[in-house]
Amino acid sequence: MYSRVLSGTLHGVEGRLITVEADVSEGLPMFNMVGVLASEVREASDRVKTALRNSGYQIPPKRITINLSPADIRKEGSAFDLPICVALLAAYGYISMEMLESTLIIGELSLNGEIRSVRGILPIVDFARKMNISKVILPYGNRKEAAVVPEITIYPAKTLSEVVDHLMGTEELSIFPHQIYHADKSKTSVDFSEIKGQQILKRATEIAVAGMHNILFLGPPGAGKSMIAKRMPSIMPKLSYEESMELTKVYSVNGMLDAEDGLICERPFRAPHHSITANALIGGGRNPKPGEISLSHCGILFLDEFLEFPKNVIEMMRQPMEDGVVTISRMQGSYTYPCNFMLVAAMNPCPCGYYPDLSKCRCTGPMIERYLNKLSEPMLDRMDMSIAVKKLQYEELYGEKEEETSEVIRKRIVIAHAVQKRRLQPYDIRYNSQIPEKALEEVCRLGKEERSLRKDIFQQYQLSARGATKIMRVARTIADLDHSENVQCRHMLEALSYRMTDIFQKGSGV
Amino acid sequence: MMDCDALWFWFHEAPGITRNTKHKLLKVYENPQMIFGLNEEKLSAYFRGQSNLERFLASRNEEQILNGFDQLEKKNIRFVHMHSTEYPDCFKEISDSPIGFYLKGNMPSFTVPRVAIIGARDCTRYGSEMARFFGRELGKASVQIISGLARGIDGMAHVGALEANAYTIGVLGCGIDGIYPDENYRIFMDMQEKGGILSEYGLGVKPNPGLFPHRNRLISALADGILVVEAMEKSGTFITVDQGLEQGKEIFALPGRLIDVKSRGCNELIRMGAHVVTEVNDILEILRVQNANQMKIADFIDSDSFVHKNLLAPNEKIVYSCLRVEPQYLDEIIAKAQIAPQEVCMALNRLAVIGGAVETTRNYYALKL
Repeated sequence: MYSRVLSGTLHGVEGRLITVEADVSEGLPMFNMVGVLASEVREASDRVKTALRNSGYQIPPKRITINLSPADIRKEGSAFDLPICVALLAAYGYISMEMLESTLIIGELSLNGEIRSVRGILPIVDFARKMNISKVILPYGNRKEAAVVPEITIYPAKTLSEVVDHLMGTEELSIFPHQIYHADKSKTSVDFSEIKGQQILKRATEIAVAGMHNILFLGPPGAGKSMIAKRMPSIMPKLSYEESMELTKVYSVNGMLDAEDGLICERPFRAPHHSITANALIGGGRNPKPGEISLSHCGILFLDEFLEFPKNVIEMMRQPMEDGVVTISRMQGSYTYPCNFMLVAAMNPCPCGYYPDLSKCRCTGPMIERYLNKLSEPMLDRMDMSIAVKKLQYEELYGEKEEETSEVIRKRIVIAHAVQKRRLQPYDIRYNSQIPEKALEEVCRLGKEERSLRKDIFQQYQLSARGATKIMRVARTIADLDHSENVQCRHMLEALSYRMTDIFQKGSGV
Repeated sequence: MMDCDALWFWFHEAPGITRNTKHKLLKVYENPQMIFGLNEEKLSAYFRGQSNLERFLASRNEEQILNGFDQLEKKNIRFVHMHSTEYPDCFKEISDSPIGFYLKGNMPSFTVPRVAIIGARDCTRYGSEMARFFGRELGKASVQIISGLARGIDGMAHVGALEANAYTIGVLGCGIDGIYPDENYRIFMDMQEKGGILSEYGLGVKPNPGLFPHRNRLISALADGILVVEAMEKSGTFITVDQGLEQGKEIFALPGRLIDVKSRGCNELIRMGAHVVTEVNDILEILRVQNANQMKIADFIDSDSFVHKNLLAPNEKIVYSCLRVEPQYLDEIIAKAQIAPQEVCMALNRLAVIGGAVETTRNYYALKL
């Protein structure tokens, strides 16, 4: 007899439907599986047979053929155990085919018949919903992840016998209710008010987040560069449902979701160590998985000790940063992962890290120059802002001054983002950091006085065209935070403090 | 037969023999033509070791010498030797006077006073500003400025002199065609045109710590007075000062704060009897220079005139009053000014644009004098 069950697999961060077909016929007893299978899928035969026996179901020895179609996609993962098992029982006639209609089944089996959770549930269930599938049976541990998908009935199951009882109509599985996404559920454990002093650093950070400008921190060890970077997600606007969905999919594919979590509602903060390989950063592997840049989608990617990262690794980020997605091509096909992140880099200003504090720094000019020359020019082009950080003085550290909380700063940023979105709609972009050079003039609306100032700045700071563009983009963001429709002199002057050019500038013996 | 200058050039560059021995040879044989013709036997008395002598003898290759000499000409470098008319008397008077030296640009005029401005390479901003100030103001009083074209005080003294359009000469511790340190490239170019660059070392000689003390004796020899702006104790500056004292030059020093490591050398010099300098006039009087409308230090640091001249906004005035000669981090200025960070940034950058402040390194600002 022939039967078929719907199941799913992953392709990048998108799901795909897989039909599991089973056929039981007379002949020499054997268990045959076809359909471009990875070895873990092939091993399903042993798990399925044992789990069935241990759950108390007798399978008469017959010639069994399992096919996973479409036959030209490589199938991986252990999620096919349960659908194979169900298809087999249906083929033997224990389960009626009507019960399986429009039902997606996913799950890994252990030998005693328990169902284990698998990775990548969310994209598969989401895809199933799009394909108008109404029911899904999945491991109990994955229920919360799947429950965020609307319009689909979730049947979480703990053991094989529960599933069989449900499908035979003897005892129905309880439905797990759909979970509504609450962005407010997020509560970050860190807050901006914990940072004492560092006023200019905070201001620069606020501007950077407001315009999604990539920023570079220059400062001695222990000045608080990582501390502030860690708190940047807390001032970013809350994740929208769509963003959260995209992000959760990435984490789901990587198997990094906690069983008790539904959608991720906090913006990610990723700080990979500088020994990271290109594959781990960009994504890759024989069976491609998302890398750090995708894991920081919608959030912050923080590269501490920026200069220690291998140049080739850093430069591989260029294309993905521009496109917002990363595409990894393998023989089996190409996989696309989202990676819309904000890059925050930190580095020491000189080899010892203390320049320009000459009481500690003994680095000579050429030493500093050699050190800074390690920076990759194309990568610096992707950064709009830079700011020097200095270690705090005692009074600042233990002062009584009340600091602003993340919530207050976030409110300003939400407004700035909304303004940008409206203004930049005609250009099909969302943030000031993406403004193309040719649109800049129109977006900034400079008056006569501003134009003359721009000329002065251009000459005095010996700016390149690119450097000037960056200053104007940042000035645009400052104007947005200031609720000003036009970029004014004041905004341009402030932007100069965060300019990205001439970080090579050596002081006249500071 | 080679001409006289080329032979001097050969003798100056000749390997395997110290400058001292060269002087001894000159005393006996008077000029290089004679020495060039000497046979091995007569020369061997002056050499320690056969290999040195062989190197010396091998260098007597006419083609090679003329080649080198032509190269100098192509690069617009003059070679001045002890018998040249351009060879200054002040070099003859010192012990260990150079056999010859290379020159780009012009020699200073010896009828006009000359002051060497020297000091530490890693100076403070106070030091570099003072070096520039004295370079400029002395230059305006048509004093010629001599220094070593090094990083720090030296370079800034030249910059000051060039600002005043005065004559200034740099004495290098590397080959005449070398530019070291790189960041002084612009100064090198300007000085070749408006002043002079002098070195005892020929084409392609790399900067080497051992060479610098030797060039210091030339700096002090060229000058009537030596002004020490900033120096640590036991620094290269003291070699120049010692040689200056030996040569009977006036020593001037800028007083510094007692706790300032970089000024300790200056204070020590004052304790030992150097002239204290608190105004440009202090130097001019001792060198008996007629001074025409000299700028006072007080005028130099007067902030009111800047505020009036530029019609500063209230915020800018506050920020301007918070600035010091020593650079401060942006946050420190914000804390002092007690106004919002963005306002301080704005004011600082406007001041930088109109010339009241200077960003010495990223986000560190100082008063521009």
